[in-house]
Amino acid sequence: MTPSADKRTSGNPASQAQINLTVKQQREAQKQAKLAEYQKQLAKRRRGKVVWWVVGSTAGIAVVSLIAASVIFAPKVVTYEAHSSTGAEIEGVETFTNITTHVEGTVDYPQTPPAGGEHNAVWLNCGVYTEPQANENAVHSMEHGAVWITYDPAQVTEADIETLEGYMPSTYALLTPYPDMDTPIAVSAWNAQLKVDSADDERITEFFTEYWRSQNVPEPNAICSGAIDGPGKA
Amino acid sequence: MTEPAELAPAPPSRGLQWWAVLLIVVVIAGAAFAIGRFTAFGTSPQTPGTSSPEAGFARDMQVHHTQAIEMAMTIYRKTDDDDVRTLAYDIATAQAGQRGEFYDWLVQWGLSQASTVPLMTWMADDPEHGHGAAAEPLTDDELRAEMGMASPDELAQLDAATGTAADCLFLDLMIRHHQGAIPMGEALARLGSDPRAVQVGAGVAQTQTAEIGIMRSIQQRLGCGA
Repeated sequence: MTPSADKRTSGNPASQAQINLTVKQQREAQKQAKLAEYQKQLAKRRRGKVVWWVVGSTAGIAVVSLIAASVIFAPKVVTYEAHSSTGAEIEGVETFTNITTHVEGTVDYPQTPPAGGEHNAVWLNCGVYTEPQANENAVHSMEHGAVWITYDPAQVTEADIETLEGYMPSTYALLTPYPDMDTPIAVSAWNAQLKVDSADDERITEFFTEYWRSQNVPEPNAICSGAIDGPGKA
Repeated sequence: MTEPAELAPAPPSRGLQWWAVLLIVVVIAGAAFAIGRFTAFGTSPQTPGTSSPEAGFARDMQVHHTQAIEMAMTIYRKTDDDDVRTLAYDIATAQAGQRGEFYDWLVQWGLSQASTVPLMTWMADDPEHGHGAAAEPLTDDELRAEMGMASPDELAQLDAATGTAADCLFLDLMIRHHQGAIPMGEALARLGSDPRAVQVGAGVAQTQTAEIGIMRSIQQRLGCGA
C-alpha cells in the first residue's frame, strides 16, 4: 500500500477509515510500525547474542577442561632419577650421597655400617660370612650393586640369622655379623640404608626390590665374585 | 531516538564474523587435541610388566649369565689351551654384554631387578618347557640345577682344578650351562611379545647351540672323559 494523496473511496469501513487518515497520519503510522519492527529485531539480535555467549563459553570451558583432563589423567612417565629402581618409598630408609674412589688402608665412614664411600680396590665376594668383614671391601661390593645385610651378634638369635639368609638372592648380597650396631639389623645398599629391629620386618623384602642391583650404584652390572673371600665364608 | 529507518540497515548478515569462525576452529582443534591425547593413553607406554615373560627372562637369564661369566673368567685366568682361552674370552664378553642389555630392559621398563617369584616362573605357560602347577615346587637350588647351573661345590672344584683337568671340567660345566639356557631362549621366543626380546631369545638359543658344538670338539681334542 503506497501512501497516496488521492482521495479514494472504499466500501470497507476499515479501508475507508484508512483513506480518511491524513497523509501525515499515515506516515506517522508507518513510522511507528517500522520502529516496532526494528525494536523486535533488536531484541531478537540481543537474544541471539546471549545464546551465542552461552553456547560459546560452554564449548570453550568444555574444551579447556577436556585438554586439562588429557594432561592430568595421562599415564605417568616412568622416571629413573630416584635412588632406587622403581621409585617406591620405603618407610625408614635413609639415603645418602657418598663419594666413590679407591683408597688404601682404613676409611672413616659417615654411616655405621657404611652405605657407600671410598673403598678398597678389591671387592668382597658376595655370600654369607660368619665373621665380621673389612668395611673397605664390602663397600666395593655395594658399589657393584650388592645389598649388605648386617646383624649385631649380641642382639639376634640363630633363627634370626637363618631368616636373614632367606632374603638373599643367589648373588649380589652379603650377610655378615657387625658388632656394636645401634639396631639389631641393618640392610644397606649404595647410598641407602634401612635399620630394623626384627628379622621378620617386611620392609627388608621391599628394600631388596628397590635397591638390589640398583641402576644408581656407580658400577651397576660389575660382578660380585672373582675377587676375595673374607674370613668365615660359609 | 533518531530515525529508525536509517538506523536499521539491511538486516544483519547471517554469515559469521571472522572472529567467530576463528573461535570455532580453535575449539574444534582443542577438542581434537584432547581426544588425540586420550586415545594415546592405552597405546604409547606399552612395555612388558613385572610378571611378563620378558621381565622373567631378563631377571633369570642375568642370574644364569652371571655364573657363565664367572666360570669363563676363572678358566681364562689359568688355562694353557689357546682354544679354551679364546672360547672363555668370547663367552665372558658376549654374555656380559647381553646381561647388560637384559639389565637395561628392566631399567627402561621401570621394573625391579629383583625377582619376588621362583626361577623360571615365567615359563609356566610354555607348552614345551612349562612345569605346570601340579608339580611339587622346587627349591632354588633345584631350579638352578634345572637351568644347568653349577652348584657351589662344582664352582669350588673348578677353582681348585689345574691343567687339562680344569679345562675339561670347565667344558663339562659350560656345556650343561648352555643346555639350560637354550629352553629359556626358546620359551621367550614363543611367549614374548616385545619384538627385540623375542629376537634375543631366539638368538640366545641359536648361538649357545653353536657354542656347544665348539666345546664338544675341544673336549674330543683334549681327550676329556677318556
